[in-house]
Amino acid sequence: MRRQKPDKGEKDAVKLRAAEEILKEFGVEATHLESPSSEQEVQSILAKAYKERLSVLPLGGGTCLGVAVLPEKVHIALDMRRMNSISELDPRNLNMMVEAGKTIQSINQELAQLERGFMLPLDPPRSSEATLGGSYAANMSGPLRHLYGVLRDQVLGVRGVNVEGKQVGFGGITVKNVSGYDLTKFLIGSAGSLCVITRVALRILPVPEASGVCRLMFPLDSDLEGFLLELRQSVLLPSAVVGRWSAGEAVKVLTVALEGHPKAVQRQAREIQAMAASHGGSGETLEGRERLLENLRLAVDPQWDMPRTLALKVSVPIAQGLGAARAMEDLAVRGSLRVDLALLAGNGVIFVYATDESDQLLAEFSKGVRETVLRTGGQVVPVSGPRESLKEWGPRIDPVVGKNVVMPIKRSWDPLGVLLPVGL
Amino acid sequence: MNRSQLVKEVISIVGKGNVLQDKASLAVYEYDASLFQGRPDVVAFPMDTQQVAQLVRLANREKVPFLARGAGTNLSGGTAPTRGGIIIDLCRMRRILEVDTKNQTALVEPGVYNLTLQNTLAPLGYYYAPDPASQKVSTLGGNVGENSGGPHCLKYGVTSNHVLGAEVVLPNGEVVWLGGPAETTGPDLMGLFVGSEGTLGIATKILVRIMRQPEHVVTILGIFQSLEEAGQTVSDIIGQGIIPATLEIMDNLVIRAVEASVKAGYPQDAEAVLIIELDGLADGMDEQALRIEEICKANNVVSVRRAKDNSERAELWAGRRGAFGAVARLRPSYLVCDGTVPRTKLPDALRAVKEVSKKYGLPIGNVFHAGDGNLHPLILFDGRNPEELEKVHKAGTEILEAVARLGGTISGEHGIGTEKLKEMRLIFSEEDLEMMRRIKQALDPEELCNPGKLVPPRMEQAAGQG
Repeated sequence: MRRQKPDKGEKDAVKLRAAEEILKEFGVEATHLESPSSEQEVQSILAKAYKERLSVLPLGGGTCLGVAVLPEKVHIALDMRRMNSISELDPRNLNMMVEAGKTIQSINQELAQLERGFMLPLDPPRSSEATLGGSYAANMSGPLRHLYGVLRDQVLGVRGVNVEGKQVGFGGITVKNVSGYDLTKFLIGSAGSLCVITRVALRILPVPEASGVCRLMFPLDSDLEGFLLELRQSVLLPSAVVGRWSAGEAVKVLTVALEGHPKAVQRQAREIQAMAASHGGSGETLEGRERLLENLRLAVDPQWDMPRTLALKVSVPIAQGLGAARAMEDLAVRGSLRVDLALLAGNGVIFVYATDESDQLLAEFSKGVRETVLRTGGQVVPVSGPRESLKEWGPRIDPVVGKNVVMPIKRSWDPLGVLLPVGL
Repeated sequence: MNRSQLVKEVISIVGKGNVLQDKASLAVYEYDASLFQGRPDVVAFPMDTQQVAQLVRLANREKVPFLARGAGTNLSGGTAPTRGGIIIDLCRMRRILEVDTKNQTALVEPGVYNLTLQNTLAPLGYYYAPDPASQKVSTLGGNVGENSGGPHCLKYGVTSNHVLGAEVVLPNGEVVWLGGPAETTGPDLMGLFVGSEGTLGIATKILVRIMRQPEHVVTILGIFQSLEEAGQTVSDIIGQGIIPATLEIMDNLVIRAVEASVKAGYPQDAEAVLIIELDGLADGMDEQALRIEEICKANNVVSVRRAKDNSERAELWAGRRGAFGAVARLRPSYLVCDGTVPRTKLPDALRAVKEVSKKYGLPIGNVFHAGDGNLHPLILFDGRNPEELEKVHKAGTEILEAVARLGGTISGEHGIGTEKLKEMRLIFSEEDLEMMRRIKQALDPEELCNPGKLVPPRMEQAAGQG
């Protein structure tokens, strides 16, 4: 691999090494590694690639690159992490514009330091490494989606560079905007196949007055399902409800995040503890924002060395979430794999983390998960994992939709196939 | 194929009782709630997805334009035809197919009125968040096409944030599901489809997210002697970290029209009324309401009133919801602009509206979603006066130019349709527009599906069209 612009100081050098590691982890060989620091640089790289028919792989923190359809070889890997600043910040209008290479955690750290304290309610797994652009391209959200919605609910506008190297922008900085096709939303989940994302405009919120978190334990003979249903149908407004356990573990741990007026947080904590007890669970309530954020990270992040961890994102109708998680647990136990499950219980999303020395076992497990989920009308996408374990994954997009909608658009936006293929 | 053959074919698909073809009936379909007009060749009322798909395939085979229509409350010319053809009126597909509280979804046909769904959900303790002022008559299919908003969007977002999936008849007649109860992978096609003004296909089933009704609601009415002070109150509320469910302002001209029409109890000499609504858990809400009242006082509010019960709350809202209809008492016609600016730019935008009003000698009322900076200047005029009509179009354009200069956008919730095509260039570059055109061309190469809407033609084509 030939490395461009290697001499950018220690900080960048670390990032460039990391990019190489990421590519290695996903089994992609890149001829050139570029680290643009501006939109103009991205434009020149894309314009050159288009002219010379070179393939381009945009790269962030590599936390969810498995969502993309990755070729074994690309001409240019585009490490976006030098574009890592908040370019516009307007707390009075509750919005900001952020460069694609900035990590989600660093965005929140900067917002928290503002006078009143603000936040971006977005917390995908591994948010200390996950970049905004990568999370946008892979459509990744975390536990806080329960109250605040998913990434698409936070995004107001997007800027990027098309395959011809031209700057394009959609949406804006206002919450309401129906001017033209909503390409700001359309590009979410496009996984580097339609254009290179350079900046994203987002809505921000004031940090809530009070925060707390209930940590609840549900033993084998408890009624976790009954608890989740009662909580879902109550008037309570938790900001996150995450179940986390290892396959085969008797006790399921549930983290319930609470934010808002201090009285509302206290009352919810009280009622949730009582509700848990009535379903055979028990637990404690911890106060404070740090505790809340720390517990949510623990609940949703993988705990193992990533290169050997297969991470899948499963999505099913809300009420089927727990059943689907249990089905995956059974698969793990039968296959003798170490598997952790993070169930976003109010949203029907499960992050599945499996690890084993054998790619074959991981591949069989992922196949089993896929069959189980598709049978129940759900969806599953690989987030990361050893290349061999994902080799036979197959199409990520429904073939009829792919043929009639996605492919015609891909052909019109990227006729030479400069960017990554779509998931068909 | 001539018109009579086309009508015959349409009848063979939907039956004679589901077709309109006489001149008087077609005249009704010439317009929507905008100033644009265009006559269709035939109107069909399909009863199911299959019939919609057959109509679209017929249109494709015969190269006839077609467009879907709901209640026709569209404010930008999106539901009146530009080149004749078939109007596919979905008002007879109006079943609520399923309400699933366990999964917090409802599956509906496109002809269901927004309010019908709300009324179905209310006894179950649930609601659907988008609440356009037209909710009594506007359909959910139309709401999807236009990505409708409403007063509660400040906290809960617009239609796009609440539609999970849809069965769609594509411009080529294929039937597909976009999105669904589980998150799909790949580009966000549902996000693309919502707000595409019926130019990328026709939704025949819509899966929406429903939410638990809030435990507690507090509605506050603030009366101000200055529009600026009402606006400053809005900024100060949000500046203190309070995000209400709604923040709505009406100016004196609209207040007087509303009082003459629905008698909502607004003082007629007030320069502005501000409706503030909080919702959520009861705990701490009274304290928040008191803080808001203090902010109002700091901005010289004349009086503050809290709705005591649901009927008083409904009364306050009746005035806001009836505002557009009420101004018809003042002049026979109005053009509603729909620009949105960053909230702190509202005073500048309102000043620009005042200047435009003065310049053209046209009365302009203001009723707007202040919390999200979404203006609705209502330019009042007499549509029978061609000179005045011309001035109205110029005034509308100048308001949108001001909005764009202030960093805003030309449509917050009413869409582009035919009315704001040329203003799209105020906020998008040719490259941006080209990406949009490529999407349209990729999915509708013959440009038959609601043609001539949403995205302006290329510069050279526009010049060619004169």
